[in-house]
Amino acid sequence: MAEQLLDQIRDLFEGQIDFEGQKLVDLLVNVLLTLVGAVAFFVGYFRQDIKLTLYIGLAGTAALFALVVPPWPFFNRHPVKWLPVGGLATPANLVVDSKILG
Amino acid sequence: MYSTVVRIQNTFGFFTTVAFVVAALIAATDLLAPRTPTVGVLKTTNVQVYGQIRVLSSSGPLSWRATNSPLPPLSSVRGRPHYYSSKKEEYAIIRFSLDADLSSLFTWNTKQLFVYVTAEWPSAGGSGSGQNATNQAVIWDSIITAPSADHLANLGPVAMKKLRRSAAGKSIDPSRGKLSIKNQRPKYQITHPSGKVAEQEDVVLRLHYNVQPWVGFLTWNQDADFWRWKTLRNNLSKKFALPAIKKKDEPK
Repeated sequence: MAEQLLDQIRDLFEGQIDFEGQKLVDLLVNVLLTLVGAVAFFVGYFRQDIKLTLYIGLAGTAALFALVVPPWPFFNRHPVKWLPVGGLATPANLVVDSKILG
Repeated sequence: MYSTVVRIQNTFGFFTTVAFVVAALIAATDLLAPRTPTVGVLKTTNVQVYGQIRVLSSSGPLSWRATNSPLPPLSSVRGRPHYYSSKKEEYAIIRFSLDADLSSLFTWNTKQLFVYVTAEWPSAGGSGSGQNATNQAVIWDSIITAPSADHLANLGPVAMKKLRRSAAGKSIDPSRGKLSIKNQRPKYQITHPSGKVAEQEDVVLRLHYNVQPWVGFLTWNQDADFWRWKTLRNNLSKKFALPAIKKKDEPK
C-alpha cells in the first residue's frame, strides 16, 4: 500500500511522457519560444516601449512552461506497447549473448 | 524531454538563447534611430576664483557657499583640498548658461542620459612637456532618466511623483532632452594639481553626453558622424580667462 503510494508520488514528480509526446514538446518549445521572442521584440519596437518587450517575453515564456512542463494527457496518447511479461512461449530464435535460445 | 526536470531544463536553456537574441536585436535598433543633438548656447555667465577659504568646521573645507553667497561674478577661490591638508589651492567657480536639444537621444532603448559640462584649458608646458596637453575638469553634470527608468532616479517621494506624472502614459519622453539652463551654479568647483587656476587663459566649456541604454553599449558624443548619428556641434563655449583671486577679508 505504502509502496503503491510512493510509486504514484514518484510518477507524478517525474512526469513521464511518451516518445510522441517528447517529440511534440521539442517542437512546441522551439517554435513557440521563438515566436514569443519575435512578437515581444516587434510589439515593443513599434510601440517604442521596452517594458512591453520584457513583459511579453516573460509572460509568453511562463505560459510556455505551463504548457510543456506538466505531463498533460495529450503528451501521453501514444503509450509504448511492451511485450507481455513472462510470455507463454519463448519466441523462436531469441538471441541472447550470441547464443540461440529455445 | 522524458521527465519534468528535463523539460524545465531544456525549455529554460532555449529561453536564455531567445532572450539573448532579442537583447541583441534591441541593442541593434539603436543604430537605426537618428541622433541629431544640437547646442544652441553654451556660455559662461559668471566666473570666480577664490584664493582663501575660511574652513568652517560644520560644513567642511569648501564652505564658500556659506561664506560667499551670493556669488560675485567670475571668481576663483583658494582653500584646502581636505580639511587636514596644509596645502592651499585656488578654486574656480564657473557659472554658465546652456541651451541644448538632446531629445533625439531618447529612444525606446534609452535608460538614462548623462549630461556633463567640462572646463578645459591647455597645459602650461604644452603637449611636449610630458604633462597632459589639456586640462579637463567636470563642473556640472546631470542624469536625465527616460520614463522607463524613472523608478531608478535618486529622488525623494514628492519629486519622484512629480517626475512620474510629467511622463504619465508615455514610454518615451523626448522633451526631457531639451535643456534650457540659465546662470547655473556649478556642481563642482575646480582646481589643478599645481594648486593654481587664477588668471588662466583660453579656458573653454564643453558639453558632453553619455547615452546609457537598457541593453547595448554605452555611447558618448562622437567626434565624427557615424551613419545616422551626428556629432554634437557647437558644444564649445567661447574662450574666456579665469579672473584673479578674489580678495577676502583677512580673518583676525
